[in-house]
Amino acid sequence: MTDEARTDAELVRRCRRGDPDAWNELVERFSRYVHAICAKGFRLEPHDAEDAFQEAFTRVYTRLDSLRDDSAVRPWIAQLTRRVCLDRLAAAAREQPVEEVAPDVREATLDELDEAFAVREALTRLGEPCSEILDRFFARDESYRTIGDALDIPSGTIASRISRCLAKLRAELEGRKQPVGRSGEYR
Amino acid sequence: MAIAELFEQTAAPTPAPGGGSIAALTVGLSAALVTMIARSSRDSWPDAAGIAAQALELAERCPRLAQDDAAAWEEAFAGLQDAVEGNNEPGAAPLRPMLDRSAELPLAIAEAGADVAVLAALAASRGDGALRADAISAALLAHAGARVGAHLVAVNLGTREGDARSSRAAAAERRAARALADAVGMP
Repeated sequence: MTDEARTDAELVRRCRRGDPDAWNELVERFSRYVHAICAKGFRLEPHDAEDAFQEAFTRVYTRLDSLRDDSAVRPWIAQLTRRVCLDRLAAAAREQPVEEVAPDVREATLDELDEAFAVREALTRLGEPCSEILDRFFARDESYRTIGDALDIPSGTIASRISRCLAKLRAELEGRKQPVGRSGEYR
Repeated sequence: MAIAELFEQTAAPTPAPGGGSIAALTVGLSAALVTMIARSSRDSWPDAAGIAAQALELAERCPRLAQDDAAAWEEAFAGLQDAVEGNNEPGAAPLRPMLDRSAELPLAIAEAGADVAVLAALAASRGDGALRADAISAALLAHAGARVGAHLVAVNLGTREGDARSSRAAAAERRAARALADAVGMP
């Protein structure tokens, strides 16, 4: 089993056993997610977001034993990070009034982040060539011709390949009971 | 931007928006048509959701291409005017990168046109038969956009003889033409 294929629960179990590589892997796996919650979800200033990021992972490290379901580490980290961000906002507001992000706007942003990261992880699980094809078309805005040239695939078949890969991605997401998109489309 | 405002801005005696931006918007609208057809054909077309997602992605790219093309052409036009009139101040931005950018965007528009034409051809053959005229309309519009893009690359002053961008743009126009022929059922 490759490092990428290890499940979150396995990773947590290795962390509990004190495996330093596992801790590094856990930080690496969730760092973009935690940072996105701080910077995009709560719109913390860069230095505040960095501090919140550090604090969130410190709490993860010191409180991992309180996590009851190892496979639910992602929502648990998200919850810890939200609390850290709220604490920082409350502390900042006590010193100086700050412009508050409306809670519903914040929740919508956090939902979008959750969805984006769920899709990103599902893409990783799909493996090649689907993850590469979908990333090139939807994230890098590449044309069918560019994708075909890069992956040595006839450009005339790219559209149908993308459709098949999207169907696999949907199955992967539904298998994990994750939301796909507002209209049920592959977005 | 409201449609009436777009018409006014296009008609104004200013260099941009010009043919490239209008071609990008045309391709975007044809992609929106394909999205509509695919969304309306889900009961009878297994790949409809995947095609709708791709068409929607291309439709969302096109307004950005239109804006970028207008900005690039405006900048290149001003740079050319300064060069012709000898107004180039020391330290002014070099002309070559401006011209290069104003050639790269029509190429991206041509390739988007070709990709939308491919999707339109699929919509014409596999989508709801009642919407076949719309699918052919989308293929015609996408081909027109690809053709304009290829023309603008060919006549751009940033394009040199034997430039790979010219041949790529011409190839995109040919792909769009083949897809149009498929859409209308020509051999």
